[in-house]
Amino acid sequence: MTSTAQPQKPLLSHLATGAPPLLLLIVVALLPAVGLGHNTIRLLFVTLIWVATSVAWNLLGGFAGQVSFGFAVFYGLGAYITAMSFNAGANRLAAILLGSCVASLAALLVGLPTFRLRGPYFAIATIGVSEAVRVVMTNLAVTGGASGYRIMEKGAFNQLLHFYAALSLAAVAVGISMLVRYSKFGLALIAIREDQEAASDLGVNPYRSKLQAHALGAALTAAAGGVYVGYAAFIYPQGVFGFDISVAILLMPIIGGVGTVWGPVIGAVVYGLVHEELIASFPEFHLLLYGSLLILIILFEPAGVMGMLQKLSRFVRRRSSLGSHS
Amino acid sequence: MAPILKLDKVTQYFAGLAALKDVSFDVEQGGLFGLIGPNGAGKTTLLSIVAGSLNPTAGKIEFQGRNLTGVKAHEAVHAGIARTHQVPKPFRSLSVLENVEVGLRFGRRQRSANDTKDSMKVLDWVGIAHLYLLPASALSVGDMKRLELARALAARPSLLLCDEVCSGLTETETALILRLLCDIRRAGTTILYVEHNLRAIMSVCDHVIVMNYGQKLIEGTPEIVQNDASVIEAYIGKKAAR
Repeated sequence: MTSTAQPQKPLLSHLATGAPPLLLLIVVALLPAVGLGHNTIRLLFVTLIWVATSVAWNLLGGFAGQVSFGFAVFYGLGAYITAMSFNAGANRLAAILLGSCVASLAALLVGLPTFRLRGPYFAIATIGVSEAVRVVMTNLAVTGGASGYRIMEKGAFNQLLHFYAALSLAAVAVGISMLVRYSKFGLALIAIREDQEAASDLGVNPYRSKLQAHALGAALTAAAGGVYVGYAAFIYPQGVFGFDISVAILLMPIIGGVGTVWGPVIGAVVYGLVHEELIASFPEFHLLLYGSLLILIILFEPAGVMGMLQKLSRFVRRRSSLGSHS
Repeated sequence: MAPILKLDKVTQYFAGLAALKDVSFDVEQGGLFGLIGPNGAGKTTLLSIVAGSLNPTAGKIEFQGRNLTGVKAHEAVHAGIARTHQVPKPFRSLSVLENVEVGLRFGRRQRSANDTKDSMKVLDWVGIAHLYLLPASALSVGDMKRLELARALAARPSLLLCDEVCSGLTETETALILRLLCDIRRAGTTILYVEHNLRAIMSVCDHVIVMNYGQKLIEGTPEIVQNDASVIEAYIGKKAAR
C-alpha cells in the first residue's frame, strides 16, 4: 500500500485567492476619483451590469453545464418589477430585492418542467420560454406594452450612485460565484456537469441542485436588470426581454471561459467594452461579428480567454524552467 | 440472518422486449454474492434497478425491510445502496480527491469531521492515494476502476453493487481488486458482484446466481453452480456440454 498523504485544507491559500479580487474592487471603486468623463463612467456602469449577469449565468451554465438561452426573462422581470415597485413608492433597494425574489420564483417555475429535459432539449425549451415572455410583455397593457415603461425619478440624477450600485452588485455576484465554486453545492453542480448519472449514483439530487442554481442565477440577473433600469429610467420589452440579451448573457462567459470564476468576468469586460464600439462602427453587422466570434471560440478555444491564459502560463513556465536548467 | 435485499418477481421490459422476467432472489446480510451470465442476460439491468437508476416494469425490491421499488438513484444511495459502473464514469475535470468527496459529502449522511482526511483514507484503501491531486481524466483504466470503487465506498453503503470491476484489467490488477472486494466484505459491507469473468467470481463469492435471457437459471454455492449442466450449456453451448 502507498503511504497516506494528508493534504491540508489550505486556509492560507484561500485568503490569498481573496486578496487580488479585493484589490481589483478597490481600484475600480476609486476610478471615478481620477476624473473620468461622464461617458466613461456610463461605459463602466454598463460593463459592471454585464459582469453581474455573466457571472450569474455561469452558475447554471458553467458550473452545472445547463446552457440556457432564457436569461433575458429574469433580466427583464428584474427591470420591470423594480421599475414598477419604485414608481409605487418603494425604496430603491427594496424594489431591486423584490425583483430578485419574483425572478427566483419564475426560475423555479420555468425549471420544474424544463429540467426534466437534458442537453440541447433544455436549451431549446429555454428559447421557447424566453420568446413567450417577450411576446406577453409586448402586449401587456399594464406595463405599456411595446411602447415601454418609464421610471419617475424623485431626486436629482446622480451618476455615481448608479455606478456604485452596479459595482456592489458585480462584487456580490463574483463573491457568490467564488463561494459556490468551493462549496458542497458547487461540487454537486460540477459533478452534474461532468456526469449526471454518476452524480446521482453518489447521492446528488440533480434536479434539486439545478433548480437551486437556476433560482440563484435568476436572482442575480434580475438584480442586474433592476440596477440597470434605475439608470436607464426607461425600458421596453424588446430592450430587456429581447433574444439578443439572452445571447449576450450566454456569450460573455463563453468568451471568458465557462465554468471558471474569472472567465465570465473577463468575458463581460471584453464584451462590455467592445460592444459599444462595434454597434457604433457596424450597426448592421455587429451580430454577425458575434456569431463568427462564437464559432471561432468553440472551434479553437472552448475554454475561452481563461483557457488561453492557462496555456500561456504553462508555456512561460516551461520556457523559464528550461532556461534555468541550461 | 435476515436478507438485506429481497427481489420479488422483478420484471423489466424495454419497448416490448423482456430484459428481465420474474427474477426473485435474496441477498444475505454480510455476504459476497455473485451474479453471472452471458452477454445480454440482464445483469446490468438488474443492478440498475436495485440502484434506482431504472424503474422496474413490475416486481418489488425490499432493502433492509424497506420497500425501495421505484425510488430515485440518490434516494437509494441515502438508503445505503451504492454502485460502480462497468465503464468508469469519473468526473473528469475534478481531481481524484474531489471525485471521492462527492461520494463522501452526498452519500449516506454520516457527519464527517474532516472530509479530506476521510476521502484520503478511502483512496488509500483502494491504493490510489498517491494520485489524489491528478484530474480524474488522467488516470489509467485500472485506476479509474479503483476510483469508481473508492467513490462508491465513500458514500458508506451497506450494500455495494459492483458491475464488472475486473473487465479490461490484467491478471495482477484483477487479483488486487478481488482481494479488495474481500476486504470490503470483511469490513461489514454486503456485496452484489456482477461479473462476466467466471474465474474471478467463483474465486471470491460464497453464493452465486446465474442468469440467462433475463431469467434466473440457478443459484447456489460456486461448486454447485459450476457443475450444473444448464450453466455450462448457457456459457459454451449445447454441443460441448454433452
